[in-house]
Amino acid sequence: MTTTAPTDVVSPSAAAPEASPRGRLKGTLVGLGIAVATLLAGLAVPYVVTDTYRMSLLVEGTLLSLLAIGIGFLARHLGLISLGHGAFFGAAAYGVGIATTNWGWSPTTAVGFGVVVGTGFAVVMGLLVVRSSGFGFLMLTLALSQALYALSVQTSARPLTGAHDGKLLSYDRDMTFLGLAQRDVMNPGLFWPMAWIALTMCATVLWLVGRSRFGTTLEGIRENEERMRFSGYDTFGPRLVAFVLSGAVASLGGALFAINSGYVSPDILGFTRAGDSLIAALVGGFGLLVGPIVGTFLFVYAQANFNFGGNLHLFTGMALILVLVFMPGGITGSLQKLYHRLRRGRR
Amino acid sequence: MTIFEGRGLTVRYGAHVALDGVDIALEPGVVHGVIGPNGAGKSTFIDALSGRKRPSSGTVTFEGVDITRRSVRWRRRKGLSRSFQRTSVFGAMTVGDQLEMVARRNNEEDLGEIVRTLGLEGILDRVCAEIAYGTQRSVDLAIALIGRPKVVLLDEPCAGLVHDESVRMLQHVRDVCKERDVAALLVEHDVEGVFRTCDVITVLDLGKLLATGTPDDVRADENVIRAYLGSAA
Repeated sequence: MTTTAPTDVVSPSAAAPEASPRGRLKGTLVGLGIAVATLLAGLAVPYVVTDTYRMSLLVEGTLLSLLAIGIGFLARHLGLISLGHGAFFGAAAYGVGIATTNWGWSPTTAVGFGVVVGTGFAVVMGLLVVRSSGFGFLMLTLALSQALYALSVQTSARPLTGAHDGKLLSYDRDMTFLGLAQRDVMNPGLFWPMAWIALTMCATVLWLVGRSRFGTTLEGIRENEERMRFSGYDTFGPRLVAFVLSGAVASLGGALFAINSGYVSPDILGFTRAGDSLIAALVGGFGLLVGPIVGTFLFVYAQANFNFGGNLHLFTGMALILVLVFMPGGITGSLQKLYHRLRRGRR
Repeated sequence: MTIFEGRGLTVRYGAHVALDGVDIALEPGVVHGVIGPNGAGKSTFIDALSGRKRPSSGTVTFEGVDITRRSVRWRRRKGLSRSFQRTSVFGAMTVGDQLEMVARRNNEEDLGEIVRTLGLEGILDRVCAEIAYGTQRSVDLAIALIGRPKVVLLDEPCAGLVHDESVRMLQHVRDVCKERDVAALLVEHDVEGVFRTCDVITVLDLGKLLATGTPDDVRADENVIRAYLGSAA
């Protein structure tokens, strides 16, 4: 993860170039079609997966995927590797907890508030960090998110955050989150549509942004920031916007996570959480939008099945080494490469 | 008619004076060469003029306005562009995508003309990092020429090119400068190429201005011969 690494980790847009604007439009429409189909197909999941525990894992994977695609968006389009997105995820979660439990807000409003809080943190952190790159960026995002963690566990913060005990969410029985009472919201089968719709919508938005002119500008900044400035482009503004956008997506994940689990633990802001998300995204692959999602589901699965004796990190570590050494570009990146090779071989 | 001017430009790195009170004036349609032995301060000079390096003292004026403290972005928007000695392109993007991106920002209406002039038609959909080095240098020049800049500062456009490519590159520079009435500054290692291409030449040595004048004047200048060209020139 040096300053020049991104182009190795993030496979460049090796996909077929769409030279004509018409080809571009067609590509966009096909993509949107796939997004709608995925969204609708995903809604059927609770009817297929009837086991509550499995369903809860899928919901967890979906919500953590929001965090991961936020991280992946920055890595793919700006070559910036962030350890700070856990802070937005966590800040949003605490925002929801505080708004419902301390202030008696309705869960729906509280989720909106949580997203605003998380995004607000992204603005503040973004102003401080987007000028840096590579290692400096990594360390700054880590430092700032750890500062937030330290704040959240202060004894003086106990009334708000519950400090090390974490925060249990409670709100009136007649209050609902988009029609779901607290009991139902914690039922993964019933909560699933919200998580799934949020993920597919955010993924689609990020995909569209990546394809837009703004996405090209980000690509230019990633490839050669100095030449961008010498070509008349502002490079600070676009980086800040991209950072805040990816932070907002992570915030939505955190807000929904808090509502769904009904409890916010300070671990959510911890170094391990941020590291795990980053590793999951890296294992899945930054080069494609779905990479971080694949990695996150794999991580959640591993967490549930290989966590015997607290050895989860032994497995994530092995997965990381395997991917970094043998599959640059992650699982999805390698599959993509394989696909291209097979197609070329056939021709 | 001077459009772009550097006066008394000095750049210090600690105690070392890399550039010591150098003056230069560029005119539209004139190719102005800057030569000098290694360490003469050529790259520092172009950095100071282009805003990449803030001069320790001295001023840069453009169309009569002091722009010494203006950002590179501001300068580019007003019509001042530069290229780089180390090829500075957008490696993972296709040639077409990056030229369009820069064209969009700089209101270039006829990108096709630049592409044709530099012979880039055939490689627009190629990823820039994968094309030949000499062609990348042409892409680098194309990026600098987009948007009809009034002043173009070229930092060794022929660095790393073989002789034939180098001759063609300098011909392109001269053609573009004349056709578009651009004030061009050409920093170059290839002394013969500079004498062939430029209308005015400035010679730097050890950060100081040694001589300025037409190629013939400079060739005959005693200081230049003693310090740099040697008796053979």
